[in-house]
Amino acid sequence: MRRPTGTVVPGGTVVVMTETAVRTDIAIGVRDLRVRYGEFEAVRGVDLEVRRGEVFALLGTNGAGKTTTLEVLEGFRTRSSGDVSVLGLDPGTERHRLRERMGIQLQEGGFVDELTVAETLELWGQLSPREDRVGRLVDRFDLAHRRDVRVSALSGGEKRRLDLATAVWGSPELVVLDEPTTGLDPAARRRTWDAIQELQDGGRTVVLTTHYLEEAEALADRVAIMHEGRVAVAGSLSEILASRPSSFSATLPAGVTPPPGIDGPAVRVQTDDLQRDLTAFLGWAADHGVPLTDLRAAPASLADIYLSIRSEA
Amino acid sequence: MNRVLALTRSELRLIFRNKTVLISTLAVPLGLGLFFALTGFGDGSGASIIAMQLAMVLGLGIYVAATQTLVARRQNLVLKRLRTSGISDAGLLTATIAPVVLLAVAQMVLFAVVDVAFGLPMPSSPLPIALAAVGGLALVVTAALATAVVTPTAERAQITTLPLFFVMVGGAVVLAFLPLEGIASLVNLVPGAPLGSLANVAYGGSAFSLVQLASLVVWPVLFGLLARRNFRWDARA
Repeated sequence: MRRPTGTVVPGGTVVVMTETAVRTDIAIGVRDLRVRYGEFEAVRGVDLEVRRGEVFALLGTNGAGKTTTLEVLEGFRTRSSGDVSVLGLDPGTERHRLRERMGIQLQEGGFVDELTVAETLELWGQLSPREDRVGRLVDRFDLAHRRDVRVSALSGGEKRRLDLATAVWGSPELVVLDEPTTGLDPAARRRTWDAIQELQDGGRTVVLTTHYLEEAEALADRVAIMHEGRVAVAGSLSEILASRPSSFSATLPAGVTPPPGIDGPAVRVQTDDLQRDLTAFLGWAADHGVPLTDLRAAPASLADIYLSIRSEA
Repeated sequence: MNRVLALTRSELRLIFRNKTVLISTLAVPLGLGLFFALTGFGDGSGASIIAMQLAMVLGLGIYVAATQTLVARRQNLVLKRLRTSGISDAGLLTATIAPVVLLAVAQMVLFAVVDVAFGLPMPSSPLPIALAAVGGLALVVTAALATAVVTPTAERAQITTLPLFFVMVGGAVVLAFLPLEGIASLVNLVPGAPLGSLANVAYGGSAFSLVQLASLVVWPVLFGLLARRNFRWDARA
């Protein structure tokens, strides 16, 4: 039950807000979500929280349960158990109300081949509760020169862009994108990133899945990595990267004995304290007059974490 | 409602863009219906002609065409994609099927005009024919939804629709000629058979029976339940 609360701002205007609006900045809340297909449990106790206005990336191996989780959030898949709230609604029972506020790009979704790009978008606009302009979207997604071309004549990348254009029609409050840049060339991928950034700048919440780790690094405020139906790691990128060891590497000249505890001549060290250990290594090299080649130092990358989760399983 | 109308308009436009669909939906049932009227099909009494016209329009014009459309839209993932728009599931199915239903109703009206123009004997009571048309419409629409459940591709729909189509046409023809009575009237329970028997009733050939009414109601309910329980929106299993 929403309980009205009020506050007085300068000028004497009373601003009335609901308790929900005051209380929460959570767009999506998932607790102990489980989805079973017969004996097989595709999602095994997932907890997620997506904040309003953020870009949240759901990563994972093939078959990790990402798409099934998204389908539950979209209201297309019945959960076996668990609590799910999307924009304050239960997608299992309030899918239609949710659709008014949510844009979706499916991993696989089709359009009628015989309609043109413009006709497809016009139809989408008539089916949508939100207002937008065909011209804005064909410009935004580089489809202006193809607006009178039938969908059957579009390339795979162009169809993907049309798909994205329908998902963001009218800038919905929440946009869920399942692998939005798969099959796109680098330029189109960049434009898609820009569009996602634009949505976030406009205060929209975006949830996306991707296999491109650099995409998650470029776009996401927070990520969750799923593996075998569970969330293996979740948090902001900086939190996740800080939780994993950094590394440095270098090559020693032939015949030089490396410092104790380090193998050489190809040195590769993983450390929880990069500054301390790298400083010590460089100090050792300076003290012994050892020239280092190929010296590199880096924090853990999302790719390292992703691969380590796979290998740990 | 506006969303359903918008999608219906779009689907209607697609029928007129696709010659194959246009022929199977419009030309074939229309041609056959006119053929029956012009040649005085059967005993020329009117009942057999109207029964066949109804069976052709409902069977070919709606049942086969609607099944093909539903399966094609599912096969190329259009149904799945449109479910993410603002239209409801019921609205989506209604709008997908509505154009072929509208065209079929237009053909029925055209047949009525043609039948009058060619001097076909008029029924003593038009009510049974109206009942046959409405009941038949419910039958073929729900049957199309149910047949889509067991039809993986649009091409396969040409095969999966055949059994019910022939049962329906066969039942309509037999009962238009033969006013079955007693235990034999149970033939009315065959889907589509009341199209013929009600045409017969309209021309005073036999009396109206509850078996006819039961058949008109039971099959759409059964097909509707089957579709409601098992209809898939996604081409993937």
